[in-house]
Amino acid sequence: MTSQYNFKKIVIVPTAKDFIDIVLSKTQRKTPTVVHKQYKISRIRQFYMRKVKFSQQTFHDKLSTILTDFPKLDDIHPFYADLMNVLYDKDHYKLALGQINIALHLIDNVSKDYVRLLKYGDSLYRCKQLKKAALGRMATIMKRQAQSLQYLEQVRQHLSRLPSIDPNTRTLLICGFPNVGKSSFINKITRADVEVQPYAFTTKSLFVGHTDHRYLRWQVVDTPGILDHPLEDRNTIEMQAIAALAHLRAAILYVMDISEQCGHTIEQQVALFESIKPLFANKPLLVVLNKTDVIRLEELNPEQKALIQGFINDDIPVMEMSTFSEEGVMNVKTEACERLLSHRIEVKIKSKKVEGILNRLHVALPKPRDGCTRPAFVPEKVIEKRLEKGPKIKKKTERDLEVELEDDYSLDLKKNYDLPADFKYDVIPEFWEGKNIADYIDPDIMAKLEELEREEELRVESGVYEKEEEEMDDEEKEIHRLAGKIREKKAIIAIEGRIGRSGGAPVMPRAGRKRERSVSRLRSEFEELGVDMSNKSGAHFSRTKSRSASRPPIKKARADSAGRVSSSSRVTPRDQSGIRNVELKAKAKKMGHKAQGKMNQFGKAGEADRHIAVKMPRHLYSGKRGIGKTDRR
Amino acid sequence: MPQNEHIELFQKRYGFRMDYQERQRKKKAREHKLQSKMAQKLIGIKGKIFAKKRYSEKVQLKRTIKAHEEKKTRKKEDGKVPEGAMPAYLLDRENTSQAKLLSSMVKQKRKEKAGKWDVPLPKVRAQSEAEVFRVLKTGKSRRKGWKRLVTKVCFVGEGFTRKPPKYERFVRPMALRFKKAHVTHPELKATFCLPIVGVKKNPSSPMYTSLGVITKGTIIEVNVSELGLVTQGGKVVWGKYAQVTNNPENDGCINAILLV
Repeated sequence: MTSQYNFKKIVIVPTAKDFIDIVLSKTQRKTPTVVHKQYKISRIRQFYMRKVKFSQQTFHDKLSTILTDFPKLDDIHPFYADLMNVLYDKDHYKLALGQINIALHLIDNVSKDYVRLLKYGDSLYRCKQLKKAALGRMATIMKRQAQSLQYLEQVRQHLSRLPSIDPNTRTLLICGFPNVGKSSFINKITRADVEVQPYAFTTKSLFVGHTDHRYLRWQVVDTPGILDHPLEDRNTIEMQAIAALAHLRAAILYVMDISEQCGHTIEQQVALFESIKPLFANKPLLVVLNKTDVIRLEELNPEQKALIQGFINDDIPVMEMSTFSEEGVMNVKTEACERLLSHRIEVKIKSKKVEGILNRLHVALPKPRDGCTRPAFVPEKVIEKRLEKGPKIKKKTERDLEVELEDDYSLDLKKNYDLPADFKYDVIPEFWEGKNIADYIDPDIMAKLEELEREEELRVESGVYEKEEEEMDDEEKEIHRLAGKIREKKAIIAIEGRIGRSGGAPVMPRAGRKRERSVSRLRSEFEELGVDMSNKSGAHFSRTKSRSASRPPIKKARADSAGRVSSSSRVTPRDQSGIRNVELKAKAKKMGHKAQGKMNQFGKAGEADRHIAVKMPRHLYSGKRGIGKTDRR
Repeated sequence: MPQNEHIELFQKRYGFRMDYQERQRKKKAREHKLQSKMAQKLIGIKGKIFAKKRYSEKVQLKRTIKAHEEKKTRKKEDGKVPEGAMPAYLLDRENTSQAKLLSSMVKQKRKEKAGKWDVPLPKVRAQSEAEVFRVLKTGKSRRKGWKRLVTKVCFVGEGFTRKPPKYERFVRPMALRFKKAHVTHPELKATFCLPIVGVKKNPSSPMYTSLGVITKGTIIEVNVSELGLVTQGGKVVWGKYAQVTNNPENDGCINAILLV
């Protein structure tokens, strides 16, 4: 039971032909499609049984959603039940839904029978024929429901367009003869755009609009006009109005046309009022006389006035209004709302729920503890000071000026400018002689600029901006110097590296190069850097061993003062250069071999070769694990 | 909120777009292109369904065109009646006389005695035992093969109880037992769902008749009290013969023609 009655969520009801198409194509798409006659018979049977069952399920689902979505006339508010009866005929509606229900059960039975038969199908042909017969039967059942489905689709479309009237909230209901001005009234007080035309029965169904009063939302329901004849003769349109009058607990506004432009005299309107009076029981009632711009109540002749007086005598309030000139419309609305509100409060007070609300409405005032009063405390000095200041001069604000001048007031921000009167209202340009005016807004700006510059000079002179130099001791100085040297050398090396070996010049083979790594070179370079190389007799780099006896004495080598051998075609081979003795050489060789072994085993091209031929070798990633160690996963 | 006929109201107040009529016209004019495109592009089951629908539409189109053309041509009405013959509207419908009735009754009795009937399906394919029965293997090791399962639709009477399972040779499964048949009256062209009374004769073998196996061409007796037929003498006819016209095991239902 939603408070907002909304029938827009009903599923679309397809026509019989479309229904069958949808279900059969769904069966074809969602079930397996291939079967051969050489399959096992159980497999063939299962294939066809699945199709029959699937179709049955789909039909069942779709039909049951239709049955559940359509509202049951016994479950909804009696207002809507009555309205639907008036519009769609309760019997027809129930019959249509009943037929759909029967179709549902028939389809279920067909499916059951044929699945039972399929169990005894012994060839593909037979199973296929049985499945065809089953689906055909279901389709025939649906074809017979074409009428019901069509009717239900029309009902659904009309239902979705019904206005959502909440039967339990505050409602104003407008009724009366056709053409008296009900729709004009609702157009005036709400945003509902009901059509207003001079012919009778312009409004053919209920319309709802919403308005506000006292911070609450009020529903206003406009009804089609009612004519004065007995209930049996009423047509569908009038019956909707009667249904609304009968079931909605609302304030009734009975609208009358005292100018008789609607085509009915005041006597007839009063007669209609009397005939539908039973429907107004227990509802706050208001008689509204419309079209007073044409003729006023006082201008009526005495008989008609007497009829109106009859209302007043019966304690029914009578109000005048004119929807054309809009006089009295708001008063009518306010009066109706107030009456309904007080009526609803009365009803609530009489009901049981009132205690819960009354508790919440109670305002508690604290009981005074003793008799002495406790006013606010203001020190005396403060009071004296206030008096000294004198009375507050109330400045005249712009608002006051606005209230005073009313229509002639315009906001003038330039009137308080500090300029002589003839310059105040001038328009200020943006540029003047190539300069921005905004830069020169200040008249003393040049003087200020000069002062600033002077200040700045003073600051520079006094040394505010000079950085404090730290005192370094000798060590730090030395470090700084060396660091500078190192940086320089590094830069040179980098540049040399970038330049390369004078691009493309042939390189001498290693054997032909001059001896690079000699003791004399070592000595000279280290001396350059400042290391003391004088007494390094026991150092490793000096020749500790003399020439071995096995070696024949070579020609006296011409060495210069630095100890550099000038002609030496025999350069030490690579596996001996840099190694002190034979054991070390053997060790170095062994280490070299060992490092290469692993690479060779895996077929690597070198140290940096990280290529993996088979990322997931099957023997590692497949198979079950036996009872073995499982500490690696 | 939009209520009741808000769409029509809007159209009444504000009308349509300036190019609305033109667009509708053009859309309609383009429809044949869409149809031809679909006819070319759709394949598979959708294509077949579309082709069938299209074919029926075309047939209708051709019919209407032909009807229109017929209107244009005027044919001379040929209502000549040969000399001396009675005009058609004066002819009686049933012209059977008493004598004819008696002789037909006698002939029927003779035919019944002889067993010769004039049936709608005179020749039916004979069903071999291998088709009708399937061997059911029983026993602890499933070696004994003397039981047979009937694979065709059959009729068992109302008071039917199975023989004790140890002794029953022919098993007639419940799923294949039918009690009703869809019987068509050949002259009225109406079909009724009538209860079966019994199987009169199965053309393939008398054994099938005794078992109650119903195949195509079987003569069955149906309860026609629903139709309310009355004999000449005033007695109510309640049983008539009908011949089965379909393969009930393939269709899941028994369709028969009443033998009048």
